[in-house]
Amino acid sequence: MFMHDLGLALQSMRRHPVLSALMVLAIAAGIAASMITITVYHGRAGHPIWWKADKLYAVTLDTRDPDTANAFSGLTRHPEYPPFQVTYRDAKALYRSDIPERSVMMFRSNRVITPERKGERPFATAVRVTTADFFAMFDVPFLYGTGWSRADDDAPAPIVVLSKYANDKLFGGRNSVGRSITIGDRQFRIIGVIDAWLPQPKFYDLNNSGFDLPENLFMPWGWTEALRLPSGGSTSCVRSNAKVGSFEDLLAQDCVWLQYWAELPTAAQRERYQRFVDNYVTDQKQYGRFPRPLNNRIVNVDEWLKMYDVVGDETRIQVAVALMFLLVCILNTFGLMLAKFLKAAPISGLRRALGASRIDVMRQHLVEVVIVGLLGGALGLALSFFGLQAMRAINSRPFPGMDDNPARVAIQQSLTNLDFQMFAVALALSLLTGVLAGLYPAWRVGKLAPSSFLKTQ
Amino acid sequence: MEIRALLSAMWRSRTGPILVAAQVAITLAVLVNVGYIVQLRLHNVAEPTGLDVPNIFWVVSQSYTPEYNHAVTVQADLDYLQSLPGVIAAATTSHVPQGFGTSSLPFAADPTVLEKGGGVPAFIYFGSEQLIQALGVKLIAGRAFDAAAVRPPAADGREMFGGWSSEAVITKNLADKLFPNGDALGKTLHAGLVNKPATIVGIVETLQHAPAMGRAAEFFRTGVMLPAIAPGPNTAYLVRTQPGRRDATMARVEKEMGDMQPGRYLASMEPLATTLDRQRLSQRSSIVTLSIVAVFVLGVTMVGIVGLAAFTVATRTKQLGTRRAIGATKFQILRYFLVENWIITSAGVLVGAALALAVGIKLSEIYAMPRLPLVYLVGGIVTLWIVGQISVWIPARRAAAISPATATRTV
Repeated sequence: MFMHDLGLALQSMRRHPVLSALMVLAIAAGIAASMITITVYHGRAGHPIWWKADKLYAVTLDTRDPDTANAFSGLTRHPEYPPFQVTYRDAKALYRSDIPERSVMMFRSNRVITPERKGERPFATAVRVTTADFFAMFDVPFLYGTGWSRADDDAPAPIVVLSKYANDKLFGGRNSVGRSITIGDRQFRIIGVIDAWLPQPKFYDLNNSGFDLPENLFMPWGWTEALRLPSGGSTSCVRSNAKVGSFEDLLAQDCVWLQYWAELPTAAQRERYQRFVDNYVTDQKQYGRFPRPLNNRIVNVDEWLKMYDVVGDETRIQVAVALMFLLVCILNTFGLMLAKFLKAAPISGLRRALGASRIDVMRQHLVEVVIVGLLGGALGLALSFFGLQAMRAINSRPFPGMDDNPARVAIQQSLTNLDFQMFAVALALSLLTGVLAGLYPAWRVGKLAPSSFLKTQ
Repeated sequence: MEIRALLSAMWRSRTGPILVAAQVAITLAVLVNVGYIVQLRLHNVAEPTGLDVPNIFWVVSQSYTPEYNHAVTVQADLDYLQSLPGVIAAATTSHVPQGFGTSSLPFAADPTVLEKGGGVPAFIYFGSEQLIQALGVKLIAGRAFDAAAVRPPAADGREMFGGWSSEAVITKNLADKLFPNGDALGKTLHAGLVNKPATIVGIVETLQHAPAMGRAAEFFRTGVMLPAIAPGPNTAYLVRTQPGRRDATMARVEKEMGDMQPGRYLASMEPLATTLDRQRLSQRSSIVTLSIVAVFVLGVTMVGIVGLAAFTVATRTKQLGTRRAIGATKFQILRYFLVENWIITSAGVLVGAALALAVGIKLSEIYAMPRLPLVYLVGGIVTLWIVGQISVWIPARRAAAISPATATRTV
């Protein structure tokens, strides 16, 4: 039965090869445009730590001036959001709470590593200065060794954790735990090496770019003051009465430059923590701080990525335009199918007169529609594959002074990756296109009375 | 003309025309808005940066050992770079224009504005004596930095901010905003947060720190340049050469400069033109992607119009022959199809115009861009009318060519 329908459908397509090809091409173009843009969207909108979706929370406090018409407020789309980072003193105050299972305060800095081997050039690299819970909180996999304990944070121990890239570069990938490394003008002992770890977007700190590599060095929190480490990310002084001038000012003033995360597995903990944070802020008001109404947002990873708008306008506009295009393609195929079916209606009329049921006629036409849809989908998928390859090539141009970390390529790949989910989307889109475009024409043709076609025109 | 007959014929087989009208409507909405968005991006990409882009390169020196002496190294580097043949100017800069990273503060003519949290936000460059010349920006009033005003390197970035500078060169838009009477030169510029004044000694026409659209566009064109040398451990130098000598100078610097001072290496180096290209890459790719899709949308709609007309011609061959047989001229047949298409397109355009405006208003709200100018809508409507007539031309010609004898044949 199906083979018969297939045969009839192919026959019908052969009868109008140009028209059929046009329909397939239109669908292919629509699917390709949609798939390319949806794939990029999918890559950008990824949830890098979905298994902890309801456990990890970024903490933000509204430290800003009372005046809503702040000098910089006109530059943002959401002036109601509190600053995305916290001040040094607030981070330290929040860190005292034992409500969260784990807490992390941290920032990105830059240091220069001098390799032991003679003749090798020193290189500057990004460092994450963080409290101990970082590794357990974000499920960072270790290749060798471990992270450090909270005790190592307070009186900072000269220990570091390396990224896999740094370990490959400095020690040829061998187990370097226990070896020492020169950072700036100091010796640090390596206590752990992280395995390949590439959360995309780099949710835990979205300052420099949403799609960036994790740092190559991880250093205990206490080194912030000991080494007077500058922030390599964004620093923003959010009160007009803040005084900027020295490192001590930065620590004491209302300047935000730290990321703060808390792990709150239960709803009860979250409520308690929100109360704790609000109480802290209310208490601080007596010192003239936090002049605005309470606006402390404790947000999960999803909301956090939305606040930073990691997906971006450009991507959204492109998806919208591509989907409109697909809609035009569907309407177009709809019209052409209808014309084609009605033109060939006398043949269907003959089949009806010879005993084929209305359902038979409809099914035969639907098979044709689905074939056109699937052919268009397959061609569209191939086109989008090449389109994404081209995009990847264009976006992979290196920056001078950038390290040769192969993970950079992986980031571009993750943003243009036609994975299994995307194949499913393509299949669904092409079937949907075919059915939307062809259901009505097939039904129309099935509905026609056979007698009307057996007469002359 | 036979408008009533035409309408009634269309009404009898209305699905096709409705589909084509719907395509036209969506096409118009896409075309108009994409056209506008692309135009805004093209404008943004082509926006003057004020910089002497083709003749500038930047180089970053990175220190790593205690033997490195920042003050000595910076002076030696500047002397070396300025001594090179073909170099017009060389200066340190706290930020590479069109690179990444921004420092900014609110500025005002009156310090009390800043105390209330107000002021005009502007980006800041700290640089050595020849910064203005090395950027290649056009000085429209006053002068560049005075050698005596350049502050020696601070211990770190914060102290550089805290120490500030006695004089400043600012962009014209900031001067106009703070001193609407046009008398900014010689006046005092107050900076928020650092709470420091500086005398405005020069005004430059344009300096764009980064290409941006929407809310931040103006901010990235509003700048303050101050004479102070940035602290280590890494130092960026801007070098501007005579036309055509950039690449030779870069090659020489790459070979010589790194080893001239102990304890540092040249971490990175790039022509400014490359940096600028990279900054505009996403804009460019967006322009290409959107334009391709817009052309495709139009193309598919054309296919739809041709398809519908061809179908009408094919199914009405006999009627058309009859019309010819009873006296209709070829021109009348042709006109029939052209008018039919015009009516369908116009119906689509009517709905499409409303759709396009709705989308346009929504977009301008979300992306803080100016409202869709009506000229785009008019342009889109005219385009679709023309495209519709062109598309229908071939099937209409075929219809007009049908022989009157067809009427006498049976199928």
